[in-house]
Amino acid sequence: MSELFRRDPRAQWIARNRLHPLHQALSVGPVYGPSGLLRKNLHIIGFIGPNGLKRIDRSGASGGMDGGSRRSATAASAVVLPLHQIAEPAFYVLVVLDLVSGRLNGHDKDTLGLAQQLANRDSGGGAVVAVAFGELKDQSLDTAGVDRLIHLQGNAYQDYNPEQRCDDLKHIVEQLKPQQILLPDSINGGGDLGRRLAVKIGERPACGVWKLNDDSIVCRASAGLRDITKPLTKLMLVMEECYEPVSETRHESIGLEKSTLSLVNNKLSDHGKISVDPNAIPLAEAGFILSGGNGISDWPQFHHAASVLGATEGASRVAVDDGNMPRERQVGATGTWVTAQVYIAVGISGAIQHMQGIGQCDKVVAINTDEGCDMVKRADLSAIGDSSEILTRLVEMVEQRQQQNNEGVVNE
Amino acid sequence: MSSSQFLSEFLITLISLALFLTVVGAFKRVLLWLQGQPSTLHWRGLFKIPQRYLVDLHHVVARDKYMSNTHVATAGGFVLSAILVVLVYVFQVQSTIVSWALLGSSSLMFVGSVFVMLRRRNPPPNLSLGKWQRLPKSLMSFSLSFFVATLPAVGILPIDTGGWLLALVLVAGIIWGIGEMFFGMTWGGPMKHAFAGALHLGLHRRQERFGGGQSTGLKAIDLDAKKLGVEKPIDFKWNQLLSFDACVECGRCENNCPAFAAGQPLNPKKLIQDMVIGMAGGDDAKFAGSPYPGIKVGTHKGGAIIPIVNTLVESDTLWSCTTCRACVDACPMMIEHVDAIVDMRRFQTLEKGQTPGKGNEILDNLSATDNPNGFAPSTRMNWAADQNLPVFGENNLTEADVLLWVGDAAFDMRNQRTLRAIIKLLRAADINFAVLGEAECDSGDVARRLGDEATFVRLAKANIAAMSNYQFNAIVTADPHAFHCLKNEYGDFGGNYEVHHHTGFFADLVSSNKLKLDSSKELSLTYHDPCYLGRYNGEYDAPRYLLESMGIKIKEMERSKNTARCCGGGGGAPITDIPGKQRIPDMRMADVTETSAEIVAVACPQCNLMLEGVVEPRPEVKDIAELMLDALIEDAVGGDS
Amino acid sequence: MSDNKLSVISLVSIGQHPSSGRARRAEQDGRAVELGLKLAGDNLSVLHAGEQPEHVSKQTALRSYLGMGLSELTLLEMSSDADAALVIAEHLTDHNNDIILTGVRSESGESSGMLPYLLAEKLGLAMVTSVADILSVDKTNNRAEVLQALPRGQRRKLTVELPFIASVDMAATVGRQSAFGPAKRGDITALESANIDDVQAQSWQVSTAKKRPKRLKIVKAKTAADRFKAATAKASGGGGKVVHGVEESAQAIFDLLVEERMI
Repeated sequence: MSELFRRDPRAQWIARNRLHPLHQALSVGPVYGPSGLLRKNLHIIGFIGPNGLKRIDRSGASGGMDGGSRRSATAASAVVLPLHQIAEPAFYVLVVLDLVSGRLNGHDKDTLGLAQQLANRDSGGGAVVAVAFGELKDQSLDTAGVDRLIHLQGNAYQDYNPEQRCDDLKHIVEQLKPQQILLPDSINGGGDLGRRLAVKIGERPACGVWKLNDDSIVCRASAGLRDITKPLTKLMLVMEECYEPVSETRHESIGLEKSTLSLVNNKLSDHGKISVDPNAIPLAEAGFILSGGNGISDWPQFHHAASVLGATEGASRVAVDDGNMPRERQVGATGTWVTAQVYIAVGISGAIQHMQGIGQCDKVVAINTDEGCDMVKRADLSAIGDSSEILTRLVEMVEQRQQQNNEGVVNE
Repeated sequence: MSSSQFLSEFLITLISLALFLTVVGAFKRVLLWLQGQPSTLHWRGLFKIPQRYLVDLHHVVARDKYMSNTHVATAGGFVLSAILVVLVYVFQVQSTIVSWALLGSSSLMFVGSVFVMLRRRNPPPNLSLGKWQRLPKSLMSFSLSFFVATLPAVGILPIDTGGWLLALVLVAGIIWGIGEMFFGMTWGGPMKHAFAGALHLGLHRRQERFGGGQSTGLKAIDLDAKKLGVEKPIDFKWNQLLSFDACVECGRCENNCPAFAAGQPLNPKKLIQDMVIGMAGGDDAKFAGSPYPGIKVGTHKGGAIIPIVNTLVESDTLWSCTTCRACVDACPMMIEHVDAIVDMRRFQTLEKGQTPGKGNEILDNLSATDNPNGFAPSTRMNWAADQNLPVFGENNLTEADVLLWVGDAAFDMRNQRTLRAIIKLLRAADINFAVLGEAECDSGDVARRLGDEATFVRLAKANIAAMSNYQFNAIVTADPHAFHCLKNEYGDFGGNYEVHHHTGFFADLVSSNKLKLDSSKELSLTYHDPCYLGRYNGEYDAPRYLLESMGIKIKEMERSKNTARCCGGGGGAPITDIPGKQRIPDMRMADVTETSAEIVAVACPQCNLMLEGVVEPRPEVKDIAELMLDALIEDAVGGDS
Repeated sequence: MSDNKLSVISLVSIGQHPSSGRARRAEQDGRAVELGLKLAGDNLSVLHAGEQPEHVSKQTALRSYLGMGLSELTLLEMSSDADAALVIAEHLTDHNNDIILTGVRSESGESSGMLPYLLAEKLGLAMVTSVADILSVDKTNNRAEVLQALPRGQRRKLTVELPFIASVDMAATVGRQSAFGPAKRGDITALESANIDDVQAQSWQVSTAKKRPKRLKIVKAKTAADRFKAATAKASGGGGKVVHGVEESAQAIFDLLVEERMI
């Protein structure tokens, strides 16, 4: 639809009449009174919080839940960033991307940001060449700061094959002769690949780089206890947040031709990811935890729910002391400190030591019969009711969805 | 030959033979003990045996009045009878007086043995069955036979009464009696406890225990030795092996053991009996008392040179102990169970590196950061950021009246409240005190109880070195574990200090009116004696004095003072975490709720944490310092700090 | 799994505790020794390249490897200025080890994690990083099955040609407790090494790590109100939604799980 503004006379009439029953629902934007003064209805802002009291959140973090200003509807459309073109690059800065699941992550973008800084500072006129292995689903390479792109695809690159990639990079380096080579120093492949490349091309790398000065860099050393300031190195493995990602410019992302690359005799072969039993993952590492406490009466159902959800099992101190769960499963100050992305606490009231242990969790869900307990106050989502009923229903929903997924896969 | 003549001559041979065999048996038994490691022979103690028996031992036995009276009769009667029997029947002393005396002593013994028999009718579970069930009959046989046999000598019965029949019956009875009482005493029968027990009283490893003294600090070992700790029975000291033989299987230790009550696999009585099996060789099939909860009797065996753990005793048994010393305190034979357990733990930790549960983590943390939870040492004084504490070494401070030992409470939010209360009280009383600050390391208590002598020695030496730079008159601490280490165990490494627990120190201040407490508030309260303050150091009165000065009528628990039940926090028990049927702090909290008190006063940070870990609803837990602070009357003029 | 003919060597270093800075058994090296003990049992060789430990704490830290049940350890004497990778490579050249185990990175010094890669290149071996476990070793076919550790507890199975170097990740089985007695009594055999200095490192400046500034969300806002809102926004989830009723609760939780991609 085009963006022509259509008048709705009825809506406008309602908006003019403050006493109309539908006035509040339809009023868009600021309402002015007869004397031209802005009319604010203070009673409509705010919402009812978890403890039953009215809450007004002025920080905007709840994203205008009260249906506040509709200014976003008329917000400007996407700003077009200026295009940064380099016809004749003075030199190249090579960046090898991690590409988790084919997309750029924060670490990749930070690396590209640093590369752009190195290419453009002091009017360098260099170009950032990004090397992407395997599937590339990300469309935003141009806004991330990629001037040139070398994309290596093929079945081999679906697997973990660092030796092949290292050899490919060696050829690329020989061909382009970049001034700088940057890789993210990460567990997603960059750390491994960067070090292999360093040894292959005989360049001593700077690892754990976190800051760029004019002609020196600062690296983390001694497993994070020391900083080493050393001169700018050709091959650098950089940490996350070493530089701001590119946000002010658009880039060309022109594909470069790949010269024929040689096949390497790999000494390593990938046999794929092993399905890991969620309960075998150490609690401190687990990303998804289902934790049971005093309020659970049906433990077999709890275990079943955990296995259907694919969650790692955790427990509060009381559950462990009562013998329902082993001690290694205890979450809390005297147990394990967890860093899960999603933490579901079933029947846990939230003693202070337990809350200390879950401080780092991203999303906390509480299922409890007591609405006023500490866990409900802390949780991002609280479900008040009988835990076994809620878990049963949740398990049903998940199993339904899994069934749908399986059928969907078959239909594809 | 008449029957009486026959009897008389037969008895000479019989009794002499029995005595000879007894001596042979004694030698054999002593050789068993001498398999152990060398240790000081306190031969002077042998002279003190009668006194120690009548005073120290009797004190412990007298906790059960029935038994102590019975024992006086039986044992007293036996000792007299034995001497008199030898006089009359071996040395043929014909005095009437002696014979009357023998009649008297044997009848006393008989009366005693009747009571023993009554006790053994439906024996409580802490007593052992098996060979112990025949003991009353043996006692009666001995006493009755000699009574009847002596009757003719005093003229009550004519000589040759009953003829050969009676003589043979008496012979049978005497053989049984002598067999049990003389022969059995040194050949492993139930009467062995008399022989070994008497020697043990004299040659005890901790001579300072007697005469109202205390010896509770663990003994240091030579860390350069070829083997650290006890692996096999022969690694024990010889006087420890002697002490095991003294066990009378009365089960008082078992009755008082918190781990046993909680269903953890520890029974102090069975442990000592297993040590005997280890020393003498054999298996535990004949053990007739309560087994380790969850472990079947008859599945373990041992020998003098066979490693103990997992063959004779499971490692879970050793690690269930909270080192509360209730067993040692209750033992009438003065056996030191805790010493034996810690010695075996030392081998497990120092030689095999097998400390269960989180033990490894805690010990590593102590090595790396001088505190069991691995907090950065530089954050030790963070809790006191707002307290403006005088710190030794800062601003040229090298002297103070009192050194306040902070302990692990520095890192624990709950116990910091107690510390703050203590500081306020000290300031209210105008005490010149200072702390060691970051130079203070953990006292090393938990390392030593877990068997890691090396870490304990390192921490002790570090603390002593830190303290040697400064001058102070006394150390005051809120932590009984630190109190015990500083007072009783640092001496071995050159640290000799005057140490006070905060209750003792404040009791002095209150009684000398330097601190005034408001006694008008009525609180429903009971007091939980910490093991390391009470049983380990004999301090029961100062806390009670403080509570009474606040006008509180303490609703004493049934198990209080020296029979107080442990909270389960000592000996590294929460760290090794051996599973049982119940939790020890839950049992103690049940004791508290029985008194219907609303508050339980504690004097130890560990007790505080353990009791607060009990699921609510439960009585409130408060340290005495906190209660004192609430009741403190501060002087109107310039009192506040 | 203890194959007596398997020649396994673990390279160890003296670690540093992150809070107190005290010398200790390095965490990853401890796991490397644990894995080596699993593969070779008593036949495991352990090598440390460095100076003779003068300070008591460094000696204790080095001996703590012996406390894991090893009777001896080889100390390749090397000055603190030397280049460890080249020195060790030179020493191991004719040793014909089947598997060399190291930690992913050391806890002191440059801690670049380059050692295993350099060794692999110099000795012509395959290299696997972040190993969680070695499942099996097949000497006849010169192959081993290895489990590599991925984030969030995931695992990847690889086969690698023998001989190889593996760097052991924190996900591997933690090193067993070190017992004081055996640690004290074990032998440390000192060997001389080639003198190869690390020239580059001498020009670097080393200092205590500074806290890295947290990245602020720079809001490209046009109006002051927007910038103010963004600046005062709470980092935490806020919200605190409460749901009643079985069906609604289950649905709400389900939606959250889908949104967080847990299902």
